[in-house]
Amino acid sequence: TNGQAAADGSVITVFDDPSNFNVKHALQNTWTLWFTKPPSGKQDWSELLKEVITFDSVEEFWGIYNNITPASELAQKSDYHLFKRGVRPEWEDPQNKYGGRWSYTFKNSKADDKAWLDVMLSAIGETLEDEGDNEVMGVVINIRRAFWRVGLWTKSAGQPPKKGSKEAADVEAGNADREAGKKRLEKIGKRFKDYLNLPEQEQIEFSGHQDSAHSGSSRAKAKFAV
Amino acid sequence: KLETNKRVEPAEPTPGMQSLKSARFLEVKEEPKYPDGFKSPNPALNLGGARKARTYDKDFLLQFQGVFKEKPSVDWDTKVKETLGPDEPASARAPASAR
Repeated sequence: TNGQAAADGSVITVFDDPSNFNVKHALQNTWTLWFTKPPSGKQDWSELLKEVITFDSVEEFWGIYNNITPASELAQKSDYHLFKRGVRPEWEDPQNKYGGRWSYTFKNSKADDKAWLDVMLSAIGETLEDEGDNEVMGVVINIRRAFWRVGLWTKSAGQPPKKGSKEAADVEAGNADREAGKKRLEKIGKRFKDYLNLPEQEQIEFSGHQDSAHSGSSRAKAKFAV
Repeated sequence: KLETNKRVEPAEPTPGMQSLKSARFLEVKEEPKYPDGFKSPNPALNLGGARKARTYDKDFLLQFQGVFKEKPSVDWDTKVKETLGPDEPASARAPASAR
């Protein structure tokens, strides 16, 4: 009967018939899932980073999620990265040059699949930021020997407006907030913390990629926290 | 190419895979009637925006988890193994169809 329903132009969702539906739910962005393989020799990190798949619908996300290794079963030194299409999940990508990340480290060795799923859903569902914020680049999970960590990469790092820019002139004239960029990131960070279901007293930390790159490790001093 | 070994993957896409490919995107203003027991996306997230697609809350998205389980493609398991699996020496690597 669904074949007939489709023929008369009516809408069949995946909830009506998972093997014979004719509409799907668009995501606001197209996303690419990347995987970092644990090193087995002397490869560069960038050689270990592989694109898995690119998708743009809710249905397709679940097809992938239901058929790929859960984070809790990944080997040490693996990462999943879920980034907007066209952005490589590396500091070196020019689109990440002025960016930073919120992150939180869980001090147990086995990743919580539900927490990582919630983070991915907040990214693809576009509930981490408000329309026009245009900050979210992607989310990442790192699996390590004695901990696992989730991160949220943003386009900016809360820098005050550049001297001579229109924004700086607005701040000078008292028409704009010098801290607007930082406040926008803090709002996004609070939502990220909520999705991680962390107790209020726990803090997630933000650091700029440039600071992290210069310190030579990902343990750069946090610029701010929520 | 010759394929004498028995296949380990189905050769044909399943109806679900084909539906995913051929289905059209719902429009932002379109509100399909979902079957009983399924919720629409939280309308508070979708008021008056100029976004080109909807914003979806977690509860809405989780409803799909047990519903859509199709692999993205017929060769998905091989692809996952190659991308996520441990590195094999190049000599041990054979074309998927001959495994």
